[in-house]
Amino acid sequence: MSGRASRTVLLAALVAAVSATCVFAVSVAQPQLKVFLENDYLRISVAPHLNFLSGRALERLKDGASVAFVGQLTIAPAPNSVVTDARSVARFAFSYDIWEQKFAAVKIGERPDLRRSISHLSAEATENWCIENLAIERSLLPPDRAFYVQLDLRADDSRDGRGVVGDSGLNITQLIDIFRTPAKRDQKFWHLYNGPLRLSDLRKPG
Amino acid sequence: MAPAMSRLLIPLLALAACSSLPGSFADEELYRAAAESNVNQRYTIESIAVAGIQVDQAKLPNRLRQRMNALVGKRCDMAALEDLAGDLRRELHLQQVSHHLLRGSEPGRVRVDFDVVRKPVDVSVPKLLYSSRQGFTGEVTASTTLGQNGFTLGAISNGDDLTERFTGILARYENTHFGSDRVHFGIGFEDYHEQWNDATKAAAGTNFDLYRSRRNIAPEITFVVARPLTVSVGASFEQMESESPAAGARSANAVTAEIRYGHKIEGENEQQAVEGKYDIRAGVAGLGSDYSYARHTFSVRYEVRAGRQSAADEFAAGAITGNAPMFERFVLGTSSTLRGWDRYMIDPVGGDRMVHNSLTYGYQFGERTAEIFYDSGALWNLGQPAQLRHSVGVGYRQGVFVLTMAFPIVQGRVEPVFMAGMNY
Repeated sequence: MSGRASRTVLLAALVAAVSATCVFAVSVAQPQLKVFLENDYLRISVAPHLNFLSGRALERLKDGASVAFVGQLTIAPAPNSVVTDARSVARFAFSYDIWEQKFAAVKIGERPDLRRSISHLSAEATENWCIENLAIERSLLPPDRAFYVQLDLRADDSRDGRGVVGDSGLNITQLIDIFRTPAKRDQKFWHLYNGPLRLSDLRKPG
Repeated sequence: MAPAMSRLLIPLLALAACSSLPGSFADEELYRAAAESNVNQRYTIESIAVAGIQVDQAKLPNRLRQRMNALVGKRCDMAALEDLAGDLRRELHLQQVSHHLLRGSEPGRVRVDFDVVRKPVDVSVPKLLYSSRQGFTGEVTASTTLGQNGFTLGAISNGDDLTERFTGILARYENTHFGSDRVHFGIGFEDYHEQWNDATKAAAGTNFDLYRSRRNIAPEITFVVARPLTVSVGASFEQMESESPAAGARSANAVTAEIRYGHKIEGENEQQAVEGKYDIRAGVAGLGSDYSYARHTFSVRYEVRAGRQSAADEFAAGAITGNAPMFERFVLGTSSTLRGWDRYMIDPVGGDRMVHNSLTYGYQFGERTAEIFYDSGALWNLGQPAQLRHSVGVGYRQGVFVLTMAFPIVQGRVEPVFMAGMNY
């Protein structure tokens, strides 16, 4: 009798563990890069949502500081290839209004007239706006062969770079600190890709 | 030597180059644009604190306190706050300084708090130079600060500044509040071993005392007379072990004094800076010196910047009277004077008279600056004719990193000299 009860408890525990693992697996599903054409541009979206305003970057934003991100969209013949067909780099500056508790973002262009900005958004809406602003001209895509689309997104923690090299020369203590700290910090680099794709396979969104 | 040189030089150049790549993650322009686009800039600063202590109560250099107080009541300029955080870190020798914005007493107002992290010991390379003619020169220091007291310990090998290469250790103590913020006290200790060039040995003969080691203790008090003007007085007690055992130890004990002046003029379209310095070192028998001499040096530098362009002129002159030890003698043909010239060809034992002028024009590309320069100078001894020499060259500068190709103007041949390093 007690043996049957133990088996029942064990089975229930096993079912619970498997269910929990499935739920966990769904909840931490890796973001996938979606690629589509819109007018004359190749654009991207990420599903599920890519939450990059998190960890240390979010802490700094809530302290009222500015946080910069560099996003790069690459068209390449193979994943992680050093040879690329096309590349688009965009730089973003984020800030958080400490009174209104809303986020703002600016896409910094090569010229002042190319600058775009948005404000009074939630963190998620701000992140989506950033992803939506990464695009590559359709004319730059290879028309007759497969290619990979790659997204690299990286926080530019300017404060880390400052102080390594200054008026007093090369600061070894600061340099060691930079090489030592990434392991203990939250992830600051995202690398996603999709492919192989062909131009003819790409569809408009929706 | 070549592979060793490459091992040292390649990481240095790579470090300099990586910050110039497109999309670099240490992009000063992006950082500046991020600060300027911060949405909190529309708010007014209500108060500023450092480590939770209000600026007026915090122990800070007067200049920093004044800069902070000037921001109160003004728009929250994030770039200015970042600059202040950087200056706080540098001047107070801190590991990290970051600023936090907190809501003020009413909407539209913010409080700023600078968080500070102290570092126990700071290790840095203040100077590093490779010259294709002179080899390596470098310095590594470890420093720590306790309140107003700074302690530095370092190792150095220098083949650039004097006729000899000197290698050894240095230690320094500095108090930046010696009874007052306007009075600083410092004492330095140096212990070096010397290596002499064959040309110097041959030329020295019996006229000059070559030493194999020297040890120096130099206390100094500096008075900040006014913000652009400082006056320092001190002494230098230098003991030298002669190359020949028969000569034994000799002393070059001197009184020292220095006057420095620096002034900047911020115009609407251009910035100008003037720096001047005069110093004297006098070996006196009253301090037990075996050498009786006076060494005077004077230098003045003027720089003007307008947009991407800059021009600078630096003039220096010096004279020695009496019988001075070798390390006091003037040298031209270093990394900053008559660049490209072989110093041992000019005079292998240095001179007791010197004039030098360096004219530089720079054009800035982002954080990088391309430079051309023209050096001219003469080194001679009293009673001998002075010969004016010239050199020209090009340079590339990014922050403290500098690459230089110098061409001494010698009749009939071109021998370029390559130099790379930082802070030289």
